[in-house]
Amino acid sequence: MKKVIIYSTPTCPFCKQVKDYLSEKKIEFEDIDVSVDQDKAQEMIDKSGQMGVPVVDIKGEIITGFDKDKINKVLGIS
Amino acid sequence: MIYDVVIIGAGPAGSAAAVYLARKKLKTLLVTDSFGGQSIVSDDIQNWIGEKSISGVDLAKKFEEHVRFFTKEVDIKMPEKVVSTKEIKCEKGRRKCDFEIKTDKNNKYRAKTLVVASGARHRKLNIPGEADFDGKGVAYCSTCDAPLFNGREVAVVGGGNAGVEAVIDLLPYATKIYLLQRGKKLKADKMTQDEIMNKDKVEIIFNAETLEILGDKMVTGLKYKNIKTNKEKKLKLGGLFVEIGSVPNSEIVKGLVKIDKFGQIIVDSKYSKTSHPGIFAAGDVTDDPYKQNNISAGDGVKAALSAYNYIINLKKKSPCEEGKDCY
Repeated sequence: MKKVIIYSTPTCPFCKQVKDYLSEKKIEFEDIDVSVDQDKAQEMIDKSGQMGVPVVDIKGEIITGFDKDKINKVLGIS
Repeated sequence: MIYDVVIIGAGPAGSAAAVYLARKKLKTLLVTDSFGGQSIVSDDIQNWIGEKSISGVDLAKKFEEHVRFFTKEVDIKMPEKVVSTKEIKCEKGRRKCDFEIKTDKNNKYRAKTLVVASGARHRKLNIPGEADFDGKGVAYCSTCDAPLFNGREVAVVGGGNAGVEAVIDLLPYATKIYLLQRGKKLKADKMTQDEIMNKDKVEIIFNAETLEILGDKMVTGLKYKNIKTNKEKKLKLGGLFVEIGSVPNSEIVKGLVKIDKFGQIIVDSKYSKTSHPGIFAAGDVTDDPYKQNNISAGDGVKAALSAYNYIINLKKKSPCEEGKDCY
């Protein structure tokens, strides 16, 4: 199973959608709340080169926003 | 396959249209990026009738569940974006022509009628630097991204409800918030404005016209002009939120229907009819003055019922069949 990390904020609707989607597909992920963890927020900005949430890291593949097609492609699901 | 109706968009207007068309047993296709429309970014919607309080995400889920209940009648293509629409040349003997829509996945779909419910999108400042620093300090969703601006000095452009709400979202995080408004007073509802008054870290700048977003890798500042004095000024910033209203997503039907100077589709609001027979429109893409979820849903219903009546009329004999000159 590929390791999936989601950088999110509690109020962000698209973060919730990404998490709901992965849960629905039974994909385990680590959820990092960047609103309380400044170091992780910086890590997210460094990884993605931008400041918007959600950022999904699937074993080094960085996807910004809730991009269902890209997530499916990288995870090999549909 | 020719659909009876293709619905473009699944905010309140498109979703409501889908439910009504399904119940009329019309073969319907819904093409959309996502469900819920623009209010998906709202934390707490308190005016959707029947719900005292619901988040945008939950409302979107309810729309989706409701439409998916009718899987036999409604095909859903998501995420998929319509890029263009055209009228297909009428075949001899047909009373009305079909429409063809093309999507970003290079699919083509054909339908007897269209319900355009493509909504609106964030209006951009259209100043130098904005595109370069999009996501790099320039942000359009304060509900999403406000916490990332922890400890920074930020600006919000736009003194309407969305702008003032962005300031409220930023209050717990930013060290200083400039609110720039082009006019000489805020346009937000009084109740919303009250929440940012007398806050030390909020500074409201009136008569401000934004000129340029400055930065290197990330945003570092903003150049603006006082339109009364013509004086240019610079702010040192770690981020900037743009909340200056919306632009209707009407480009996809340009050339087919009449559009006003704001880019809104002109509708006969009694029947949600556009200037083109067979094309109906509802919600924020239209020139309806009140951009509200409840109104969009109601107008979506009107568009659906009008599309239904239009299709019933198509089943009547064509003028050619009646022996009249049909060209």
